[in-house]
Amino acid sequence: MKYQVVIAGIGGQGSVFLVKVLSIAASLKDQKCLGTENHGMSQRGGSVSCYVKVGDFHSPAIDQGQADLLIALEGNEGLRNIQYLKKDEGTIIVNADSKFPKIEYETIKIDAFDKARKKEFPIQALNVYMLGITLARDPHFPFSLNEIEEAITQMNAKMAPKNIEVLHQAIEDSRSI
Amino acid sequence: MKNILMGNDAIALALIHANVDMVSGYPGTPSSEIIGNFQKFRDKFEVQAYAQWATNEKVGFEVAYAGAIAGRTTCATMKQVGLNVASDALMSASYIGLKGSMLLIAADDPGFHSSQTEQDSRSFAKFAKIPVLDPATPQEAYNMVKLGLEISSTFETVTMLRPVMRVCHAREICEVDEKLEFNPAKGEFQRDIKRWAAVPPAGRFRQGLEQIDRLEAIKEFNWTRLIEPKLQDLKGAKTLCLTSGTGDGYVKEAMEEMKLEADILKLDMPYPLPKEKIEALFVDYDQVIVFEETYPCIEEQLSSPKLHGKLTNDVHKIDEFTKDKVLMAFSNVGLINKNEFYKSDKYAAELPVRPPNLCPGCPHRDIYYAVMKVFKKKKSIYPSDIGCYTLALNQGAIDTVLCMGASVSMASGFSIADPDKTVVATIGDSTFMHSGVSPLINAIYQNHKFILLILDNSTTAMTGRQHTPERANPAKIDIKKIVEGCGVECYEHEYTPEIEKSIDFMKSLKIKYEEATGPVVAVIREFCVLDKERAPEKLPQVFAEVDQDKCVACDICTTQYKCPPMHYNEDHKIEIDPFLCIGCAACLDDVCPTDAFVKVGEIK
Repeated sequence: MKYQVVIAGIGGQGSVFLVKVLSIAASLKDQKCLGTENHGMSQRGGSVSCYVKVGDFHSPAIDQGQADLLIALEGNEGLRNIQYLKKDEGTIIVNADSKFPKIEYETIKIDAFDKARKKEFPIQALNVYMLGITLARDPHFPFSLNEIEEAITQMNAKMAPKNIEVLHQAIEDSRSI
Repeated sequence: MKNILMGNDAIALALIHANVDMVSGYPGTPSSEIIGNFQKFRDKFEVQAYAQWATNEKVGFEVAYAGAIAGRTTCATMKQVGLNVASDALMSASYIGLKGSMLLIAADDPGFHSSQTEQDSRSFAKFAKIPVLDPATPQEAYNMVKLGLEISSTFETVTMLRPVMRVCHAREICEVDEKLEFNPAKGEFQRDIKRWAAVPPAGRFRQGLEQIDRLEAIKEFNWTRLIEPKLQDLKGAKTLCLTSGTGDGYVKEAMEEMKLEADILKLDMPYPLPKEKIEALFVDYDQVIVFEETYPCIEEQLSSPKLHGKLTNDVHKIDEFTKDKVLMAFSNVGLINKNEFYKSDKYAAELPVRPPNLCPGCPHRDIYYAVMKVFKKKKSIYPSDIGCYTLALNQGAIDTVLCMGASVSMASGFSIADPDKTVVATIGDSTFMHSGVSPLINAIYQNHKFILLILDNSTTAMTGRQHTPERANPAKIDIKKIVEGCGVECYEHEYTPEIEKSIDFMKSLKIKYEEATGPVVAVIREFCVLDKERAPEKLPQVFAEVDQDKCVACDICTTQYKCPPMHYNEDHKIEIDPFLCIGCAACLDDVCPTDAFVKVGEIK
């Protein structure tokens, strides 16, 4: 198996958390996994892009035109990283409102900010929410709900029930996209 | 045992598994997590080990080096520019050697992610004549910590591990030791004045000759232990790729994915190289390409008309590796046609840039705002330093950034060179302790007239909030006392989100400055909004919104104050993002000339 994910967002949105969850999920599947994260300057509200490569890889970074999936925690950050997606097979899961432009990639769009504003889920769990949308809507996503739940639990058992609740809510919400 | 580890976790765990019980260093991205993770593993395994932050990298190196002279197994950690600070000690230590073992970890940052230079610490190791290991992944970093300490112990030399950011902050499922048998070496200093006291000239010649012999022996080790076992994997292709560190992964992946034919020989120890033996391999190849980050360290040690790399303009000379750059090199040497497989179009329309910024509620922002209100841009020069506050660049409140501590000495220089302007220098507390004190003594000694603001948030914030000397020992170490001890009064301002108070304080400093004959120094007692111990009680939790009728879109808040929640909405009025605002209430005071910022709920 080879599956490459770019996670794009803004410093503070929890992109690194997703890298950790996906690497644990890969280990649960007994798959190799290499990823890389942004620390430091990019944390202070700047653009952040992280990579996760599941399968037989040797380098942690992802080249243009190679990613199977782009999880964008914010619309513009998604567009800023769009060149990493595979031209015909890549999917972008993006948190954006109706103004998000039409692009030539398979796009799953949800206005998570609006839902958080309406207090449907806590904004701190935006990363987990978008992971839930990914689970529900990316047909090639290599992990099952069980594996992701287990990975979230291994990450932080204390916070896991709340995170898993958000995960399920996102899966439910994805039906109306 | 399998473990999911970030590179800096893997390094820290390997240090424990290799019986290191003295670690000292100074934080700097991408190296910062090594010491913190070492402390976590140490506490988890309940073993005794010294692992502490030093005031700067030179101090950190010297603490660890003395440990190694006394027979202990030690480590110093820093980022690549930190090695510049430690280099004075390193150069001499390389001649003298050691009795125990010492790993020097210098983490590089190809691509300038969080650094002012892209310098290659492998080339520094070559300059200092010490062996260096270059890991490609967290797993290799784990293995090479042990290998490096073995080399250090065998050859009695400081040995460098050079992980790049894509190793330090990579994450991989690693195979690590199952059991921990922690048996650190006992420290016992043995007097040997001729060896340990670097006094010229006689002993130095002898140590210089020993250094040459030592390097020859390490070259032999490099060949028999690290290179020769890999030769059986060479398949007799026409092209040989010599790789180092992360370059190896990019080459392997590109070749697999593009189905290219070439032999790959990864050099785990890029210095010192057994030059003649490696060059002898070239006989069987049409061409040899060197893939390394970021300087031509390997390439400069070899010579052959078949050799291609940065020096022949075939491999990129700046920025991180990508597979696209590997293909470009292959095409430059004529191995393949120009190939754009790893290229894809960026989004065509322009996207708003999102540079890093001071956090919402950060006291630095208010202080810089106050500085600019009182010391006008046209009549002032603003030298600054390395830390979070460097991000006040966004407010236009910083003119120069050079290296740790340079704000103070450059303030001296500017005050001499352009005496008609008021020089207002800013430096953080950790940076002041690192290398701000000696230039301050110099300024007082030479009567250089400028204003120095020491922004004391009592943490090394930018690198992840490591403890500072003052924070750990508040009763003993105090910036105010240090400044006074240097010879001048130290004015003090307790930051509050009421901006007027900061503006008034700057006005009082202006009066002091007009009367002064030397530096005017003040410490601003701040806090870091990410500091869970201190921030909650300091933030009033009063949230702001914008009275749209009052906003005249004058741009003052978005240019001079620059708080991340403030942005223009579709009606071209300012709006505050409620997800980002942390309720510091600072903007309610002075920022808006038309008083458009109001408390949430106050708009009628």
